[in-house]
Amino acid sequence: MKRRMIAGSMTALMVVLALGMGVAVQADDVVELTFMGWEASPLETQAVEDGIAAFEAQYPNIKVNYTPGLAGSEYNAKLLSSAAAGSLPDVMFVSSESYREFAAKGVLMELTDLFDDNYSLDDFIESSQTIMSIDGHVYGVSACTVSPIVYYNRDVFDAAGIDYPSADPANCWTIDEFREVAKQLTTDDIYGVYGLESVADTLNAQILSNGGTRYTDDFMHSTMNSPEVKEVLETIKAVRTEDGSAPDASTLDAVGMSAKQMLQTGKVAMLVDGSWSLQELAASGMNIGMAPLPSYGEVLTTGQAHLHAIASTTEHPEEAWQFLQFLSGMDYQGALVKTGLWMPNRYSMYEDAAVEQWYDESVHGDSYRQMLDYFMNAKVDPSALQLATQARDILIEETDMFFKMDQDIDVTVENLDTRIDAAIQDAVAQ
Amino acid sequence: MKTKKKGRLRDDSRWAWAMLLPNIVGFIMFMVVPVVATFVLSFTKYDMLTPPKFVGVQNYIDMATDPIVWQVTGNTLLYTLLTVPVGMCISLLLAVMLDQKIAFRRFYRAAFFLPAITSMVVVAIVWQWIYNPDYGILNYFLSIFGIKGPKWLLDTRTSLVSLAIVGIWKSAGYNMLIFLSGLQGISTTYYEAAELDGAGKWAQFRYITVPMLKPTTFFIFVMSMIGSFQVFDQVMLMTKGGPGRSSSVLVHYLYQNAFQYFKLGYACAIAYLLFFIIMAITLFNMRMEKNMREIY
Amino acid sequence: MSMKTKKLLIKIVAHVVLLIGAFTMLVPFIWMLSSSFKSLGEVFVFPPTLFGEKIIWENYTKISSRFDYFAYFLNSVKVSAWVVVFQVFTSATAGFVFAKLNFKGRDKVFLLYLATMMIPFHVTVITNYLQMSKYGLVNTLWSLMLPASVSAFGTFLMRQFFITLPNELVDAAKIDGCNPFTIFIRIALPMAKSTIATLSIFCFMGVWNDYFTPLIYINDSRKYTLPLGLASMKGMYSTDWPVLMSASVIAVLPVLIAFLLAQDAFVKGVMMSGLKE
Repeated sequence: MKRRMIAGSMTALMVVLALGMGVAVQADDVVELTFMGWEASPLETQAVEDGIAAFEAQYPNIKVNYTPGLAGSEYNAKLLSSAAAGSLPDVMFVSSESYREFAAKGVLMELTDLFDDNYSLDDFIESSQTIMSIDGHVYGVSACTVSPIVYYNRDVFDAAGIDYPSADPANCWTIDEFREVAKQLTTDDIYGVYGLESVADTLNAQILSNGGTRYTDDFMHSTMNSPEVKEVLETIKAVRTEDGSAPDASTLDAVGMSAKQMLQTGKVAMLVDGSWSLQELAASGMNIGMAPLPSYGEVLTTGQAHLHAIASTTEHPEEAWQFLQFLSGMDYQGALVKTGLWMPNRYSMYEDAAVEQWYDESVHGDSYRQMLDYFMNAKVDPSALQLATQARDILIEETDMFFKMDQDIDVTVENLDTRIDAAIQDAVAQ
Repeated sequence: MKTKKKGRLRDDSRWAWAMLLPNIVGFIMFMVVPVVATFVLSFTKYDMLTPPKFVGVQNYIDMATDPIVWQVTGNTLLYTLLTVPVGMCISLLLAVMLDQKIAFRRFYRAAFFLPAITSMVVVAIVWQWIYNPDYGILNYFLSIFGIKGPKWLLDTRTSLVSLAIVGIWKSAGYNMLIFLSGLQGISTTYYEAAELDGAGKWAQFRYITVPMLKPTTFFIFVMSMIGSFQVFDQVMLMTKGGPGRSSSVLVHYLYQNAFQYFKLGYACAIAYLLFFIIMAITLFNMRMEKNMREIY
Repeated sequence: MSMKTKKLLIKIVAHVVLLIGAFTMLVPFIWMLSSSFKSLGEVFVFPPTLFGEKIIWENYTKISSRFDYFAYFLNSVKVSAWVVVFQVFTSATAGFVFAKLNFKGRDKVFLLYLATMMIPFHVTVITNYLQMSKYGLVNTLWSLMLPASVSAFGTFLMRQFFITLPNELVDAAKIDGCNPFTIFIRIALPMAKSTIATLSIFCFMGVWNDYFTPLIYINDSRKYTLPLGLASMKGMYSTDWPVLMSASVIAVLPVLIAFLLAQDAFVKGVMMSGLKE
C-alpha cells in the first residue's frame, strides 16, 4: 500500500512539474528569427508581412517569425517584461521615447561597428542621427521619420469659401492667423481644428517653435516652467475655451471616433496629427490637403521615429543584422514611404532623383513637394532624447488637468518639472 | 500505524500528505513563495534587468510622500464607497421583488445576470460608447428629459463615478442572486405569523427580512469590498486612469509601476499597502459582525 | 383597499421595478447588437437609432481580417478546460483531506489557506511573473494555466461541502479496508457533484473572461485569449466600431449560450457560493 501511495503522489507531482517544462525546442538548419512590432494599422501590418516575405525570398536560410504586439505604452511594457524574462525577440521595434532607457539597461545589442561598416551616420537626417547616436554609440537603426503636420478637409474649406493654407513653409500661417481661420470654419456642426491638445505627439513642435525647451541640454532636468511653454499651453487652451473652435480635449479620440474619422466625416476642418496618418487618410479617398504647422515664431516641426534594434540576448546576431539591413533598405522603407505612412530618414532620399522613386501624387498630393525640406530639417523631438519613459504619462496627466480641469498654469508647469525631474533621477539612479 | 482514540480510526498523515501534494506544491509555488518574495522585494529597488538593490524602507517612505499614492488610494476608497452601498441596495431591492410568485421570473433573472457573465473587455467597449458625450445613448436619454449630460469618462469630476456605475451594473445581478438565496432560506412561517399580527409589508421587511439576511449581507459586503479595492480592468480598458489621475486606482498604479515604469520594488510596496488596507477592513468587519466563526 | 387589490398593486410595483432593472441591464447588449449591423457613419448618428439603413453583415465577415477569432477562441478553450479540470481536481482532493482526514497540523495548514484568501491577487502577480519568466514560461499558455491550477477559494468551497458528510461514512469504509484515496474517489467525489458543478462554473467564468493575467503574460498575438484579442482590436490609431461591436457579439455568444443552456446550474452555483455551512 505504501508503494502505491508513493507512486500515486509522485505521478501527481510529475504531472504538475512536467507541464512546466513543455517548451519544445526546434532543431533546424534554417535560422529562425523572432521579430516584434506593433499594430499601427491593418495597412502597416500588411506592409510588414509583405516585407518579411520579400526578405525570406532573398535569404532562404532565414525564417522570420513576426509577432505584432500591443500598441502604445503597453508595447514598451511588453518589451520590458520580455527582457526580464529573457525572451526578447531577436529583432524589434523600439519607440524613440524608450530607446535611451532600454539602451542604458543593456537590453539592446550595440551596433556601432556593424553600422559604421555599412552606413554613414551623416547620410541620416539630423533628427534621426541625434536619436540613434548615444554618446557616439548606436544601438538601433532609425526606421524612418515622422512629424506632426496640419491636415485639412478641402470640401469644408470650399464650402466655407476660405482659401487653403499654403503648403510652403515660407508662407505658413502664424498661430494667430491659424486661430482666425479656425474660428471662421467653425459652425454648429463643424469644429475648426482638432489635435492641438493631444500633447504627446504635437506639443513639442509648438514649444520649440515658440522658442521654448522641454529639457536642459543634458536632459537631466525638465524646463517646462518658462514663459514660452506657458504661452503655448495657454494658446492651445484658448483655441477651445475662447475661440470655441476646437472640441473638448481629446473628447472623441478617447471615446471612439478617431481624429482621422472626424476629419474624414467633415466634423473638423483641420487636424493636427502625425505624418503617419497620411496613409490612412489618403487610402480613405477623402479630399485632403496638407500644410506645415502654424508658427509661434520659428517655422518648424519635430521629427522622430521608432528604431529597429537587435536584442543583446540574440543567438543569431549575423542573421538579425541582415534582417535589420533589409528593414532599413529601399525595398522595405521605400514601400512604406510610398504609402504615406513614413517619411524617408536619409538626405540621399530627398534628392530630386530619389524623390521620384517614392513620391506618389495620389498619396502625397502636390502639397508634400513643398514640404520636403520641412521634414528633412525637422528638429529632433525632445521626447525622443528623454531619459525617463515615464515623462510621457506625466505630461499627459498634468496637461489634462490644465486643459480639462482648469488646474492653474503655474501649478501645472511646476508639477511637470518636479515630477519629470523625479522620474529622471529615478531612471538614472537605477 | 498508530490508532487514535476518539471517533477516527487511525492517523491518516501519509495518505493526507500524499493527496495534498499537488495542491500544496502549487499553493506554495504560486501563493506562499510570491507573497513572501513580494514582501522582500518591497524593500528593494528593482527593474527586472539589473539585480535588486536593498534600500530598506525607502519605498514605504516614498509612498507616504508620493501624492499619487494618496490620490489613487483616495480614488480606490471613493470607488468602494460609490459601488458597495449603492450596489447592495439595488441588488437587495431586485432580490426582494423577485422573491415572490411573479411572471417572467426566469427572464428577469437571466437579464440581471447577463452582465455578470460578460467579459469586462466587452462591457468596457460597449459602455465607452454609451458614455460618449456627443453620440452616446446615455446623454441622448438625458436629453429627452431636458438634461445636458456630463462628459462622463472625459471629465475628472465624473470619470470615477462613471466607472462605478459600470461596476454596479456588472455585479448587481450576481449579488442579487446571493441575496435571493438568502431570502429563500428564511422560513415563510415568520411572515405568516407577522401577517396574522397585522404587520405591514414594510414592517415585515424591516423586522424579519433584514435581520434574517444579516449573514448573507455580511458575506456580500465583505466580498464586494475586497472586489472594489482590487478594481483594475475597467480602469485600464476605459480610462487608463485619466483624465489626469482622476480615475486611477491602486492596482492601476501598481501595474504601471511594475510593468511600465521599471519600478518593481515600489510596485511590491504598493501591493502590500493594498494588502494592509484590505486586511484592516476585513478584520474590522469581522469584529463588527462578530462573525469570525461563520467565515471559518 | 381589499387584500386582493393590495396584492395586485404590489405585483405591479414589482414588475415596474424589475422591468426598469431588466431594461438597464439589457440596453447595452441591445445597442451592441444593433451597432454591429450598422455602417461606420450610422454609428455616429445623433440621436442614436436602433436600426441602420440596411443590415451590414460585412461587419461580421470583416472580423476575420482584423481579429483571429478562431485562434483566440481555441486558446481560451484550452486554458479554460485545463484550469477547470485541474483546479476542481486539486481543490476537491485537498478539500476532502482537510475535511475528513486526520493528521497533525491539519488545522494550521488549512488556516494558512484561509489566510491567503484575503491576500489580493495583485500581491502575488509581480513575483509570480518573475517566477514564470525564470522557467521560460512567459508568453506561453502555461503561464495562464499553471498558477490557476490551484485555488485556495476552491479548496475552501470543497472542504465546506465535504465537512457536511457524516464521518461514519468515511470510518465505515476505512474499516472495510478502503484507503482514503479510494474513499475519496468512490464515495466522496460522486456525492459532491453539485459543488463540483458550482466550482467549475466559477472557475470557467473567471478564466474565460480574465483580462489581467493574459495582459501581463502574453506578448504574442497568436497566443492571445479572447478578452485580450478583443482589447487589442481597439487599435492605437483608429477603430472600426461596427466591426468591434460584431467581434464583441461573437465573444459574448459562447458564454451566453452556455448560460442559457445551464441557467439553473449557474444560478444554483452562485447561490451556493453565498451560503455558509
